[in-house]
Amino acid sequence: MSSTPRTAAAAALQEGEAPRERIKVTKVVDGEVVEEWIEVAASDDAPRWQAREDLRLLDSDLRRVDGPAKVTGRARYTHDVRLPGMKYGRLVRCPYPAARCTVDVDSATALPGVRVVLTIDDGETRYLGQPVAAVAADTPELAEDAVRALAVRFEELPWAVTRDQALAEDAAPVGRDGNVADVRTDGDLDAAEAALATCDATVEATYEVPVQHHVCLETHGVVVDYRGGDEATIYASTQWTHVVHRERLPERLGLEGSQVESVVEYMGGGFGSKFPTGIEGRMACELSRELGAPVHMMLTRRDEFLLAGNRSGTHQTVRAGATADGKLRAMVSEVDKLGGIGRGSHPGLPYVYDVETSHLRIRSVLTNLDSNRAMRAPGHPQASFAMESTVDELAHQLGIDGLEFRKRNLASLVYHRQLDAVAEAVGWADHPNKVGPDTSDSEVKTGIGFGVSTWGTRGRPACVVTVRIGPDGAVTVLSGTQDLGTGTRTYVAAIVAEELALPLDAVEARIGHSSYGAANGSGGSTTVPCLAPAVKDAAHKARVAVLARVAEVLGADPARLALHRGQVIHLERPDERLGWAEACSALGADGLTTTGEWVASLTDAGVHGAQAARVQVDTLTGQVKLEKIACMQDCGLPLNRLAVRSQINGAIVEALSYGLFEERVVDPDLGVMLNACLGDYKIAGCADIPEIVAMIDDEDTRGPIGIGEPPIIPTHSAIANAIFNACGVRLRSMPLSCDKILDGLVANGTWAGGEA
Amino acid sequence: MTERRVEEERRGFSRRAFLQGAGGVAAASSLTEAVHAAQDPASEVQRMRGPEEVELRVNGGTLPATVEPRTTLLDALRHRVDPPLTGTKLVCGEGACGACTVLVDGRPMYACMLLAADVVGREIRTVEGLADGDGLSPVQEAFCEKDGLMCGFCTPGFLMSATGLLERKPDADAEEVRRALSGNFCRCGTQPHIFEAVAEAGRRLREGGR
Ligand code: FES
Ligand code: FES
Repeated sequence: MSSTPRTAAAAALQEGEAPRERIKVTKVVDGEVVEEWIEVAASDDAPRWQAREDLRLLDSDLRRVDGPAKVTGRARYTHDVRLPGMKYGRLVRCPYPAARCTVDVDSATALPGVRVVLTIDDGETRYLGQPVAAVAADTPELAEDAVRALAVRFEELPWAVTRDQALAEDAAPVGRDGNVADVRTDGDLDAAEAALATCDATVEATYEVPVQHHVCLETHGVVVDYRGGDEATIYASTQWTHVVHRERLPERLGLEGSQVESVVEYMGGGFGSKFPTGIEGRMACELSRELGAPVHMMLTRRDEFLLAGNRSGTHQTVRAGATADGKLRAMVSEVDKLGGIGRGSHPGLPYVYDVETSHLRIRSVLTNLDSNRAMRAPGHPQASFAMESTVDELAHQLGIDGLEFRKRNLASLVYHRQLDAVAEAVGWADHPNKVGPDTSDSEVKTGIGFGVSTWGTRGRPACVVTVRIGPDGAVTVLSGTQDLGTGTRTYVAAIVAEELALPLDAVEARIGHSSYGAANGSGGSTTVPCLAPAVKDAAHKARVAVLARVAEVLGADPARLALHRGQVIHLERPDERLGWAEACSALGADGLTTTGEWVASLTDAGVHGAQAARVQVDTLTGQVKLEKIACMQDCGLPLNRLAVRSQINGAIVEALSYGLFEERVVDPDLGVMLNACLGDYKIAGCADIPEIVAMIDDEDTRGPIGIGEPPIIPTHSAIANAIFNACGVRLRSMPLSCDKILDGLVANGTWAGGEA
Repeated sequence: MTERRVEEERRGFSRRAFLQGAGGVAAASSLTEAVHAAQDPASEVQRMRGPEEVELRVNGGTLPATVEPRTTLLDALRHRVDPPLTGTKLVCGEGACGACTVLVDGRPMYACMLLAADVVGREIRTVEGLADGDGLSPVQEAFCEKDGLMCGFCTPGFLMSATGLLERKPDADAEEVRRALSGNFCRCGTQPHIFEAVAEAGRRLREGGR
C-alpha cells in the first residue's frame, strides 16, 4: 500500500495541521442542483446562533435597509447608469428559427450617430431570435434606427419548433447528434409494470406544461465603463457579481481581471435567468473596446422573450396506481424536457411522494428555440404538476380525500403538520365536498386542492465577508454578494448588528462590488446557506476582538465582558458600562477588521412546504376565481420574517400566474413567437391576487436555510386540484384557462349553460 | 395580426413605430391619448421637423430637454434631462406594465405612451418628487414598513399609481385600491404587501399625516 495520503485532509493530519472534515455541499450548475463532497476546517470554537428568544433583530420583522433608496428612485440599477460619452448598444436578431445570414455592416454605419456595427459569429443561426449583429449609437433612438436599417440577408434553413416537429421522422436536425439527448432511465420497468397490474386504482395520463418566461422587469444587460485606459467598471444586471470575471469579460476589453470591477448594486429581478451576462455582456465589451467609450447594452423586452432564457416546457406521460388502502404502489413515467436548444430541467418522477415501485424514462427533446435557463426551483414545478395531479386522480378514484391520501404517502411528519396547518387556513374542516366535486345547486362551485414541495440545497464555502469597525464605532460589513430583492443586504447588516448588540441602522452593509470579496451567485436558494454563516463568522470574530481590546484597556478578563444594547458591560460589575463608540476608541486609529468564512454548523439543508388553494369555478363561464392560498414553509431560522413572508408571497404569485395564464406561444407553421411582448404574454396582475396566507413553520429550529425556491413549486398544482374538486374537470395541460374548463364541463355534461 | 408580426419581425421593424402615427389598438387611457395626440393635426409633434429644445415642468421645476418628435416622455426623463431622472422605469415600452407611471396634472399615466413634446406645459410628477427632502411621503413610508417592494423595479410605478389614487381619494377601499393598481405589474409578487401598504398610507393621510 502506498503511504501517500489520499486526500488533502489526510495530508494535513499527517503534518499535524488543524483537522479537517468532509461535508456534502450543493451547487447550481446550469440550473441543475449538483452535490459534491468537500473538505473544510473542523472547528470547535465555532460561532453559534443565539436561542430564538434571545434574538432582537433576526427572527423578527425588519424593514429592508435599502427601502428608502428604492422608494425615492435613488437606487441606481444597471439600466439607470449614465456615463459621459456613453453609447447605446443593441442586438440585431435572426427572425427565423434557423437561417444562414450575411450582414451588410455598411448599411447601418452610414447613418448619422451610428458608431459601430459588429457581426456575431457570422454564419448559421440555431434558434429563433439568435443575435447576428450588435450596433452602438449616440442615443437609444439612433441605436434603434441602426437595428432597423441594418441589412441582413437571411436564407431560411429547415427547423423544428415543437416537440412533434422535433420528433418527426423527417425532422430538421437541431442538435449535432439528433433531436433527442440525455436519455436516462431509472428503476426496473418489469417490476413497475407487474406492480401496476396489482393496483386497485390506476391512472394513465399525459400532463403538459408550456414554457414560462422569467419576465424580470429589468431586462438583462450590462453597462461597460471602459474609456481606453487600463481599468474598467462593468455594471451588470446579474445574480452573480463575480460572473463578469468568471465569463472573462475583462479579456474582451484587453484587460486583466484585477483591472476590472464589477458592480451589482441593485438589480430588477433575475429568478434564475441572470447568471450569465451572455451575448449582450460579451458584445457590450467588444463594442466598448472598439469605441474606447462606455457602452450601455440592455436587452429590449422582445429580446428578453426570445433570447434570455425561460423555464423549460415538459411533456409527461404517467401510468400510476394505488392500493385500496390508499398507498401509491406503482408509477411508470416518460418525461420529455423541452428546453429549446438547451436540455431542460426536471428532477424526475415520482416527485416527493413515496411510491413502492417505479420506472422513469427521461430525455431532452431539442427545438430551434433559445435555451432554457434556471428558473426558481428548476424543473420542480413541472414535476409537481404531474405528480400532484396523479396523486389527486388516484385519491378521487379510491374515494379518499386529498389531504388524507397525501399523508398516507408522505413519510415525513413535517409534511403532515404543514398540510394540517394549510388545510385549516383555507377552511378544510367545514368544506362539504372533500372527496368529489361540489354538487350544490349553485352555478359557482367551490374547491380545495393541495400540493407539497421539497428543496435540498446546502451551503458551501463560497463567501468571504469582512467586518470593519472604526475607532468612532462605525460598523461596515462588506461582501461581494448581491441583493436580487430577496433582502440580502438587510440580513447581512442584521446578523452583524445582532452579534454586536447594536441597532440595525448602526451597521452599514456594502454589497454588490467584486472587490468586496468572494461570493456565490444567488441561485437555488443558496445565498442564505453560503453567506449567512460567513457573515456570522466575521461578526463573531469582531465581537471577540472588540471585547479583547476593551478588556486590555480596562484590565478586565474578556470572558467577563459582554455586549448589551450598544454598551460593553462587565458581568460582575453591571454598573461599569462603556458606550459602544467609547469602547471602540480602544481600537486605536486603525480600528479593527475581521474576515469570516463559511461555518458548516451555522446552516442546514432540506426543507418541506405545503400549500392549499381554495377556488371558485363559474360553471357557466369557466372562470376561476382564487379565493385563498395558504402556504406553510420551514426555513430554519428566519433571518427576517417580513422578507421571508415576502418571498413566500412572491413565489405564490409567480406560480399562480404560471398556473392560470402563462405560456410561450410559438406558431408551428411560421416559426415565430406570437406573444413576445408584455401586452400579449399574460402574467397575473393585481386583480388576480387572492388572499395569501404565508406561514413560517416555527417548529423548525435549525440554522437558516434559503427559501427562494420551495414555495414556487406546488401552487399551480394545488390550483389544478382545487379546480377538479370544485367542478369535476381535470385539467392536464397548463395554463389552467377557462376555455379548457369549459371544454371539460361540456364533455362532462355539467356546463351550466345546458346542452352545448 | 400574426402575419403582421411575422412581417415586422422578419423585416426588423419595431412595435414602437406606431407611436409616430401609424395607429394601433388603444388599451389604456394614456395610450389612447398618445395615439390621438400623434394623429391630431394640431399636435405639437406634427409641427416638429427634428430635434427641438423644449421645457418640461417636472416635480415643481422646469427642465430643458432636447427631444425628437418621437421621443417619449419616459425617454426624455431617463435620457434627455440633466441630471437624468431614472427613477421612472422602462419595462415594456408599450403601455402594458405600469413601470413608467408618472402623474400628469395629478393623473397617473404611462410615460412610455406619451410623447414628450405633447406634455410641454403640463405638470409632471415622478417618483423623485414624492419625498420632501429626507422625509418620505406617507405612501413611500408605508411601502417601506409593509415591505411593499422586493427588487424595487416596479416600485416607482406602483408608488405613483397609489399616490394618484390616494390624493384623489384617501378613503379608497380595498377594491378601489386593487383597481387603481391593476395597470401595474410586479414580478416579484409583492402585491399582498403593496395592498397592505396602500391601506396603511390611506389611514395616515386621513389622519392628516404629511
Ligand atoms: S414601460 Fe410604460 S407601461 Fe410598461
Ligand atoms: S418588486 Fe420586483 S417587480 Fe415588483
